Amino acid sequence: MQDVSPSHSELDDIVAAEPALENRGRWGVLVLAGGTFVLVSTFAIQLLHANGSIAFGFDTWRPVVYAYLVWAVSLGASQVLRRGQAGSRALFVLPAVLFIAAMVIFPLTFGLYISFTDWNLSSFEGRKFNGLDNLRQMMSDVFYWNALLNMLWYSLAVLVEYAIAFGLALLLHAEIRARKFFRVVFLLPLMLSPVAVSWMVGKSMMEIRFGPLANLARWLGWETPIFFSDPWLAKASIMVMDAWTFIPLMMIMLLAGLQTLPKEVMEAAKVDGATAWQTFWKIVFPLTLPVSITAIMIRIIFKLKLADIIINVTSGGPGGATDSVTSFIFREYRDRSNVGYGTLLAMVYLVIIVVALTTLLNLLGRWMRGYGQEES
Amino acid sequence: MKSHVYQRLLAMQASRRNVLKGAVGAGALALGSASGLATLVPRASAQGSLRAEMLKIPGVGAGSPTDADWQKVGELCLGGTKATVQEGEFAGVQLTFMGLNNQNLHNFLFRGFLKPWEAYTGARINWIDLAQADYNARLQQSIATGTVDFDILQMGAPFEGDVCGKGLASVMPDWVRDLIEMDDYVGYLKEPVGTWDGKTYRISIDGDCHNFNYRTDYFENEDFAKAWKDEGHAGDWAVPTTWQQVQEVTKFLKGKTIDGFPANGYLDPLKGWGGFGFYFLASRATAYAKHPDDSAWLFDPDTMKPRVNNEAWVRAIQDVLDVMDAQPPDQINADPGTTGFQQFLAGTGSMLSWWGDIGSSAKTSDSSIVGDVIGFSTLPGSDDVWNHKAGKWETLSSGPNFAPNMAYIGWGVYVMARVDSDSKKQKAAWSAAAHLGGKDISLWCAAYPSGFQPYRNSHFNIPEWVEAGYDEAFIDDYLSSEADSYNHPNAAIEPRIPGIFQYYSVAEDELAKTYAGQYASAQEGADKIAEAWERITDQIGRDNQIKLYKASLGI
Repeated sequence: MQDVSPSHSELDDIVAAEPALENRGRWGVLVLAGGTFVLVSTFAIQLLHANGSIAFGFDTWRPVVYAYLVWAVSLGASQVLRRGQAGSRALFVLPAVLFIAAMVIFPLTFGLYISFTDWNLSSFEGRKFNGLDNLRQMMSDVFYWNALLNMLWYSLAVLVEYAIAFGLALLLHAEIRARKFFRVVFLLPLMLSPVAVSWMVGKSMMEIRFGPLANLARWLGWETPIFFSDPWLAKASIMVMDAWTFIPLMMIMLLAGLQTLPKEVMEAAKVDGATAWQTFWKIVFPLTLPVSITAIMIRIIFKLKLADIIINVTSGGPGGATDSVTSFIFREYRDRSNVGYGTLLAMVYLVIIVVALTTLLNLLGRWMRGYGQEES
Repeated sequence: MKSHVYQRLLAMQASRRNVLKGAVGAGALALGSASGLATLVPRASAQGSLRAEMLKIPGVGAGSPTDADWQKVGELCLGGTKATVQEGEFAGVQLTFMGLNNQNLHNFLFRGFLKPWEAYTGARINWIDLAQADYNARLQQSIATGTVDFDILQMGAPFEGDVCGKGLASVMPDWVRDLIEMDDYVGYLKEPVGTWDGKTYRISIDGDCHNFNYRTDYFENEDFAKAWKDEGHAGDWAVPTTWQQVQEVTKFLKGKTIDGFPANGYLDPLKGWGGFGFYFLASRATAYAKHPDDSAWLFDPDTMKPRVNNEAWVRAIQDVLDVMDAQPPDQINADPGTTGFQQFLAGTGSMLSWWGDIGSSAKTSDSSIVGDVIGFSTLPGSDDVWNHKAGKWETLSSGPNFAPNMAYIGWGVYVMARVDSDSKKQKAAWSAAAHLGGKDISLWCAAYPSGFQPYRNSHFNIPEWVEAGYDEAFIDDYLSSEADSYNHPNAAIEPRIPGIFQYYSVAEDELAKTYAGQYASAQEGADKIAEAWERITDQIGRDNQIKLYKASLGI
C-alpha cells in the first residue's frame, strides 16, 4: 500500500496553522458579536425612544440603517475570518442576501405587522394593535369583494389578449413587407405610460363631445357614444385600453418564441403536406406553449396591478363597476389615510395572487404534460 | 419707542445703526410734518397706481397670464419685502415649498411671484408640486410619520386640526401680521380660522365659498320663456333662486336646444374628486340642512352622530337622482373639474355651483367661451328647511332659507415649526409667505386665474376692477355673490376637524353607488355614508372629534 501520510514538514505546517485559524475564528466571532451588539442596541434604543419609554434616542431611524450596514460588514468579515476561503466565497452572495432581507423581507414583515393594527393617520392615538379586526372588516367590505370580482373579469380578458397577441406575433413572424417597421410600430403602445394612455385615449379620444373615437362611433350610427357610463361597457373600455397598452408585451414574447422554433420541423411539416392550420395547431402552438404560459403569467401579474387607467378615467365608477383591488386600496390609503386596513387588504391580495398563480402554474403544467402525451 | 414697534424692529433683525438711521428719519419727519404729510399723500397715490398698473398685467381679455406676467406682478409687489428685509439678507437660505399644481395654477404662480423675491433676498426655494387628489395623502403621511420635509406649506383651513393641533406649524410673528394687513380679511376668515389655542398660524391667500354661476343667455332666451309659459310652469322664466326652481328648470331644459346645441340645466359632478366632490352635494344640501337656529349641519355636535342621512341630506341626494337623466351624456364620469372647466366654461350646461375660480376664469381664461353670458348669485335657497332638533321641515317667515356653503374656507400659507430653530431661515420663510399673502398681490390673484378668489374687504372695490378692464356689471355681479356669501348670517362653515376628507372620500364612494342605482333609495345610500362616518369617527377618536367640532362651530 502506498504511504499517503503527510510528510513531517507538511505536518509542521498544519500544526503551525491551527492556532492561527483558532485565533481568526475567535476574532470572527468577536467581530460578528460586536456588529450584532451595535445593531441590536441601536434598534432597541430607537424602539424604546419611539415608544416614549426613554428620552434618549435619535431623531430618525437612519442610525438603525447605519447599524445594519455595520452589522452587514461585520458579518462579511466574520465569514472570512471564521471560514477562510469558503467565507470569502460567501461574500459574493451575502450582499444580495442582505439587500433582499432589507428591501423585501423586512418591509414584508413590517407590513404584516401594520396590517394587524388600527392606524389612521388622522388619529391622535396613532397606531395600535387591533388583532383580527381588519380581517373581519375586510370580510364584510363589499367594495373590496366587488373589486376582487372585477379582477377576475379583468384577468379573464388576458385570454383574449393572448389570442390577439399570438395573431400579431404570427403576422410579424411571417414574411411580410416592412416587417421591421411594423414590429416597432406595434411596440409603441407598450412604451407609453398607462397614465398617458388614460388621458390620451380615455379622457380625450373617447370623450363624448369631441373625441375622435366618439365621433367615429357616432358616424357608425351609435347616437350617444358613452364609453364609461354603463357598467359592462365601462369595464370593457378599461379592458380595451389596458389591452392596447400591454398586448405588445405578450406579442414580443411570443414572437421571440416563434423565432426559436426549429426550422427543420417546420420544413418537414411543409414537405409532409401539412396545412397552415395543422402546422399551427400541431406544431407551432405546442412548441410555443412554454413561452405562451410565461407570457400569460407575466401578463396576469401585470393585470392584477391594474390601477392607473382606472384611477384616471373612471375612479372605479360607475358605482364600482371598474374598480380594481389596487385602485380601491389606493383610495383607502390616499384619500382615507387608513394605513392599517389598507395594508391588510394589500397583504391578503398578495396571498391570493401567490396562491392563485401557483395553482394556475400547476394546472397548466399538468395540462401541458397531458397535451404532450396526447400529441405523441 | 412703543413696544410693538420695538418688537417689530427686533423681528426685522434691525441693526443698531439701522435703528438710529430710522430714528433720524423719524425725527426729520417730525420736524417737517408738512413735508412729511406731503410725502405720505403721493405714497398712497403710488399704492393706488401700483395696484392699477398691476391689474393691467396682462390685461383683462388679453389671454391667460404667463410666467413672465407672474414675475412682473411679483416684482411690483416687493415693497413689503424691501421694507422688512435687506437685499441679500437670506443668501444661502434654502426653503422647500409644498403646494398644488392644479390647472397649472397655484405653485406655478408662486414660482413666478417668488422669483423676484429670491433675487432680492438671496434665498432659494425648492418646490414640491402636488395634484389636488394627491395633496391630502401626502400631507397626512408627513404629519403622521413626522416626516415634514417642507418649510412652507399651502394648506386649507380644514387641516389646521391636524397640523396646528400637533404643533407642526410656526406661530406667525407680529411683523408679518402687520405686513400683510390681516385686518383687511373678510369677517369669516378672521379668528378662529387660522388660529389654534389663541395663536395665529395662517396667512390667508384665498377665501372659499361656493357661489351659483348661471348662463344669462339661457334666462334671456325668448323661446325658453315662451315654452316655460306654454308648459304651464308657475312664474316667469328667470334665474332660479331656490333649489326647487333649479330642479324645475333643469327638467324643463331636458331635450331642448340653444343655438343648435343641446340645452342643459344644473350640472352635478357625479364622480369623486379625492373627497372634494362631496362639497358639491353639500352645496345642494346646505339650504335644506343648515337651520338658522342651529350652527351644526354635518354632525350632531354632542355625539358626532352624522346628519348626512337626515331628511335634508336625503332630499339633496334625491334631487341629484331626479335630474340625472337631464344632465349631459356621460355625466356619471364628470368630476368637479370637468363640470367647471370642461363643461360650464366651455359652454355646456346653464347652472353650476363652484368656487370663485369660475368667475375669475370666465373672462380671463383662454378656454372660456362664456365670459359675456355668465351671471352670479349666492347659492340657491329652499322654500323649507329641516329643523334637525325638532325633526321636521319648517317654512321660515322670512322666506326661503339660504345657507351659502363656505366650502374649504380657502387656502392659506403656513410656515412649519421646523424653521423655528434657525432665526434666519424662520424670517426667510415668513417673508416668502408674507410676499404671497400681501394685500396687493392678492388683488391680482382675485382678478386673474390663480386658483384663489377674493378674500379681503379691499378686493370688493369695484372701480379698481373696472379700471383694470372688467365690465362693471359683470364684476359687480361676481363680487356681490362672493361678498353676500361671506357675510351671510346663515353661512354653512366647514368643520376644521382631523380627517375631514376621509369622511368626504368615503361618502364619494357611497354616492357613486347611489348614483349608479346600486342602492334601492337615496335614504339607503345616505345610511351607508352615515355608517362609514361613524366608523371613521370611532377610529380617529370620538371624544377628540366632538371637542374639535364644537370648537370649530364656536360652541
